[in-house]
Amino acid sequence: MYDVVIIGAGPAGLSAAIACRESDLKVLVIDEFPKPGGRLLGQLHQEPNGEWWNGIKETQNLLDQAEKLHTEITCGVSAHHIEKTEHGYMIHTNIGVLDTTNLLIATGAAETAVPIPGWTLPGVMSIGAAQVMTNVHRVRVGNKGVVVGVNVLSAAIARELQIAGIELHSMALPISNPVTKNHANPRHVMDGLVRIAHLAPSAFLRFGSKFAKSAWVRNIAVNFYPKSGVKMWGMPIHIRKAIVQINGTEKVESVTMCDITSDGEIIAGSEKIIDVDFVCIAGGLYPLAELASVIGCPFQYVEELGGHIPIHNEQMETPLNGLYVAGNITGIESAKVARAQGTLAGYSIAKNIDKIQQAMKDVKSTRDSASIQFHPDIVEGRERIHRSFQTYEKAQ
Amino acid sequence: MDQTIICRCEEVSLQDIQNTAITYNCSAREVKLRTRAGMGYCGGRTCRPAVDAVLEAVTGEKAGHDIPMKVQPPVRPVSLAILGGKMR
Amino acid sequence: MMTNRILDHPVLGKLENQKTVTFTFDGVPYKGFEGDTIASALLANGIRQLRVHEETGAPRAIYCNIGHCFECRVTVNQAQGVRACMTSVEENMTVESGKLQAAPFESAPEEWPRTYAEFEQKNKGKKVGVPHV
Repeated sequence: MYDVVIIGAGPAGLSAAIACRESDLKVLVIDEFPKPGGRLLGQLHQEPNGEWWNGIKETQNLLDQAEKLHTEITCGVSAHHIEKTEHGYMIHTNIGVLDTTNLLIATGAAETAVPIPGWTLPGVMSIGAAQVMTNVHRVRVGNKGVVVGVNVLSAAIARELQIAGIELHSMALPISNPVTKNHANPRHVMDGLVRIAHLAPSAFLRFGSKFAKSAWVRNIAVNFYPKSGVKMWGMPIHIRKAIVQINGTEKVESVTMCDITSDGEIIAGSEKIIDVDFVCIAGGLYPLAELASVIGCPFQYVEELGGHIPIHNEQMETPLNGLYVAGNITGIESAKVARAQGTLAGYSIAKNIDKIQQAMKDVKSTRDSASIQFHPDIVEGRERIHRSFQTYEKAQ
Repeated sequence: MDQTIICRCEEVSLQDIQNTAITYNCSAREVKLRTRAGMGYCGGRTCRPAVDAVLEAVTGEKAGHDIPMKVQPPVRPVSLAILGGKMR
Repeated sequence: MMTNRILDHPVLGKLENQKTVTFTFDGVPYKGFEGDTIASALLANGIRQLRVHEETGAPRAIYCNIGHCFECRVTVNQAQGVRACMTSVEENMTVESGKLQAAPFESAPEEWPRTYAEFEQKNKGKKVGVPHV
């Protein structure tokens, strides 16, 4: 019987484990991947102050702290079901059933699929897949590629591929269909880019500052967007071009790119074939909450946080006794916020009253100073979830 | 109509889902049962939000606060050997 | 040869003194680094395709690379449905790609293959990996 089992050895899970071990709780951290670190492992970007954020080093720091406190971390463990019992939770895994009083779900996020014609061909992968291959496994995903989907995540990872010496032809939007809709709409994409420009890494800031914040300037920017794209780190970013088809028989051989109107409609006769051997598709992230769902945790859909969020309060407690959440399962934010949330969740689980208040402040200050913010109205979304928790508690 | 694959596991196209939704005026659950979209190996993890988006475009039905197409255990494919107590 | 390896990275540094492991994929021996997943070791060797769609024969490879999509499932030491992106490659591991399977409903019942051998005979020379969108 554990005091707490933590599912997910990313920044949130590891930080929570450290905070729990400070109070000498019996802790077990499990993760499906062979190495701890989660998606933090692949991260590599330059902060606005010029310093590199190196996910491998950041992970090692957390692991060193965890090891000093003799934290049990087991990788290669998949949880496929969780049951609530009288005294806590039973977690069904490929290494057997784990019994625990408290449970922290820190499963992070998954990428939203952006289906476009030809996207099942070998050589097409999600942008996160390319990040892991490049920075974690140190394997080139191809010789020359194109990124489909223009957003803060895809821009950051495109830069990581470039740094690793992988050639990218350009970034462009996906063809418009009922699934890709917002990702395929130049106006929507431009609004997103401008709103994050002031918070984004340095080159992005330069890119964003070319456009003012008012709607009419954005409108002009979309309507008169340069045919050759706006270059970022030497790579064209197109919001008036779309990838309409990925071509190949056994694997990716080329993509078909078209000019599009400011509403995302294809301009007939503008097709160009571009030879590439890989394609990265970027549809953004959504919270991965399936394990919270099978236990019966209540959810709320909050667009600002990226999707369906398990209801929780400011101390990361859910309405289910002993069930906590931290990291991207509570909303899409940077790894630094996930780390601060993990620490907070750990102190909450350990009932470490002295440290909870400070940890809550740390989450807020980390959020305020984040250099990458995924949605402009994160704070509002968070408040809605916390209010829902209160409403739910009252109703019970 | 569009041959773009939405559900990769079962190779269900956008057109299959649209046609089914229009013909039978389906809920997300009914589309899943009729087309097998989201019923493949990955358990709908990849296409679930996409199927919802197609449904919203066809029927105007928006995803509610509950997780779409309720998640059922096991959330990973699991062998009978593991269920029977054999480790790994 | 692991031709797709990023041995020298301007920020992450050099990859040095990596231990290699030898494994086979569809009977062909390959080398990977210790710590590689099956998927990363194969891609380092220029191998993308990991399986074909069971029914249509369309070629498939990694998509999400973090264990969600199951597109990379292969057979490892005779265990089916193993995710190549989540499984560490090990010395002497035998990895098999996912193959086309009998799809009896394509044709009239009297034409259905009665055994796998018959199915294989019927599909001999049939091109797998038809492009479709």
